[in-house]
Amino acid sequence: MKKIALIGNPNCGKSTLFNRLTGLSQKTSNLPGTTVETTSGIVKLKTSDVELIDLPGIYSLFAQAEDERLVVSTLIGIDSEKPDAIVYILDGTNLRRNLLLVSQVAELGIPASCILTMADTAKRRHIEINIDALQTELGIPVAVVNPRSDTNIQNAIDLLQNHHVGNTISVNDQFENRLKSFYLGNKERGLSEETLKRYRDIEQVVKKVIVNSDGKKRNNTINIDKYVTHPILGILIFFLVMMALFQGVFYLADAPMGWIENGFGWFKTMLDETLPSGMWSDFVKDGIFSGIEGVIVFVPQIFILFFLIGLLEDSGYMVRASFITDRVMRKIGLNGRSIIPLVGGFACAIPSIMATRTIKNKRERLITMLVVPLMSCSARLPVYVLLISLAIPASSFWGPFPAQSFVMTSAYFAGIVVALIFAVLFNFFNKTKEKSEFVLELPTYQSPRIQTVISQAWIKCRSFLTEAGKVIIIISMVLWALSNFGPKTAMDKARSEAKIVAALGSPDSIQIEQSLKLEASYAGHIGKFIEPAITPLGYDWKTGIALITSFAAREVFVGTMSTLFQTPDNDKNVIGIRKKMQAEINPTNGKPLYGIPYAISLIFFYAFALQCVSTMAVMKKETGSWYWPVMLFFIYGGIAYLSAFAAYNIFNLYF
Amino acid sequence: MNITADHLEFNKSYEISALKENDLTQKLAEMGCVPGTEIMKLYTAPGGDPIAFRIDSYILGLRKSEAENIFVIPAVVEN
Repeated sequence: MKKIALIGNPNCGKSTLFNRLTGLSQKTSNLPGTTVETTSGIVKLKTSDVELIDLPGIYSLFAQAEDERLVVSTLIGIDSEKPDAIVYILDGTNLRRNLLLVSQVAELGIPASCILTMADTAKRRHIEINIDALQTELGIPVAVVNPRSDTNIQNAIDLLQNHHVGNTISVNDQFENRLKSFYLGNKERGLSEETLKRYRDIEQVVKKVIVNSDGKKRNNTINIDKYVTHPILGILIFFLVMMALFQGVFYLADAPMGWIENGFGWFKTMLDETLPSGMWSDFVKDGIFSGIEGVIVFVPQIFILFFLIGLLEDSGYMVRASFITDRVMRKIGLNGRSIIPLVGGFACAIPSIMATRTIKNKRERLITMLVVPLMSCSARLPVYVLLISLAIPASSFWGPFPAQSFVMTSAYFAGIVVALIFAVLFNFFNKTKEKSEFVLELPTYQSPRIQTVISQAWIKCRSFLTEAGKVIIIISMVLWALSNFGPKTAMDKARSEAKIVAALGSPDSIQIEQSLKLEASYAGHIGKFIEPAITPLGYDWKTGIALITSFAAREVFVGTMSTLFQTPDNDKNVIGIRKKMQAEINPTNGKPLYGIPYAISLIFFYAFALQCVSTMAVMKKETGSWYWPVMLFFIYGGIAYLSAFAAYNIFNLYF
Repeated sequence: MNITADHLEFNKSYEISALKENDLTQKLAEMGCVPGTEIMKLYTAPGGDPIAFRIDSYILGLRKSEAENIFVIPAVVEN
């Protein structure tokens, strides 16, 4: 099958067109030996099908960011075969800058054709483009297409069968060799002279192609930006947008998460009824399906948050967020561009770490990656919810604030503050000298394209499902084994005790048996083993087990606690666990064992500790070694331990 | 004569006359900041940095330190 690559500047409508043409046939694939993903899809043509490849938008082939380099490696055929043809996407409102890329790519001699977008906007701005002249100058077929509407989409499809090796606008000897050498990291001299010469040659083309431009550049975007970048209003808008984002996620994700939980509940009941009782059935039900449920239940939150961020990105707002935050970000060693991965970190660290590829500066990219896991991701939320509702009555107020939402908000803010502190520290200890760069196009505002946003949010969800999913399911199976098997003598003892309880006719006998067995199991032994280390934080051995199981994914905490507290299957939710936990009394001081100090201490622990194996694995891929994941595990673990210790002891004085 | 882009008046048309030679030159040139191009300072982020310019027909955000590399002259008013 023929491979055709779409090439264009950022914000030229390339991805929209790609979505229109390929629809549901899209798939992402890793280039061999890299973590960089390309999206491709199949387009059915009359005679044959073609594979269309969507490459990241770039301004020039001499690019340094990880995602931009992918375009170069594809075009010069470094990790894969060269594409059979290229389709340039040119933004009609911005022809000069778009033609720079064309002038470079044309020198590679790959057959090409060209799609002109935003021609209507250009017309409204009184820029008239002569298509025939453009066709003659470039020496390739040109079609006008509006990717956002259905008109003319056939033109784009026709163009996929029609490409020629075009004219070169500007000629530079040895261009391909220079490009290869630059790609491999060599310094190439005279690049800026070359670029200036290209622009001079482009100007000759533009003179023939743009027939009429009245020179008055109308743009509503500037009027909107007056508010969005205003010193007071702009910051207010930024915080309002972020608040709306999170409220939106909680509000929208609630129902689908409920459906998933109910669906799995129903499914497990059905398994209970159909499978013969016994160890293997338990394994299927509690080992495998609980793991799968633990993965799927996050999809709504992650999808919705990335969908909403996608709307903001596609409309053009996120770039403004980068613009207004750059000054602060720069001071702490980050970049305005870091804002998108950081906000994404509230959904899931895995795709957000991947999203740092747009940051060119290696140091800034690394530091962004390192602090992303401190953003409270969606897996921490159920833990926070359980602990808060466990220890703090809904009606209580701390000063003027409702205590429950005060603690929840503080947990999120604690993550942000510690992230800022660590960014400063990492920046201080990182001595690599590389000039920081901002240079960011502020694209025209547009209404976001839902289809594009959905498909991109889904790609991010998929990276969570594939990266975290397999780890969570495997660990869930291991945990099942650890909590169902144990040293023989201990297990026998638990069984005989359980029999006595059963003989006494206690209504809770099944749950008591489960709890006794768990205590006797390997998991119970591990919990008891680490108990001395976590007693200063206010935790008992049961919490210890839950802490360990949380390494699969933090929310496994909730499931583990529900098993440990013998909640009946039909009451296996936050309320059921809460009732059981609240009844426990600390024998040494007569206070509730799982009171406010316990809850706050544990919230701090979860906010900071790097308890996610999948995040570590992705970080290893992106940084190329285990150094940083392992370092962060200990650094953030240490901070988690110390702050939990401090929180427990301080709150113990008051509650 | 030697005005750099970080010192422009708002909403006034200038023309890029030259770029300072350094690591950033190539990037600025790629983004269309080339001699002869019209440049206008539109607005800034809170705190006055970065600055948004109109370059030719699009908006480009540059840090003050980056804008210093662009030399400009007042544009000839066309009628």
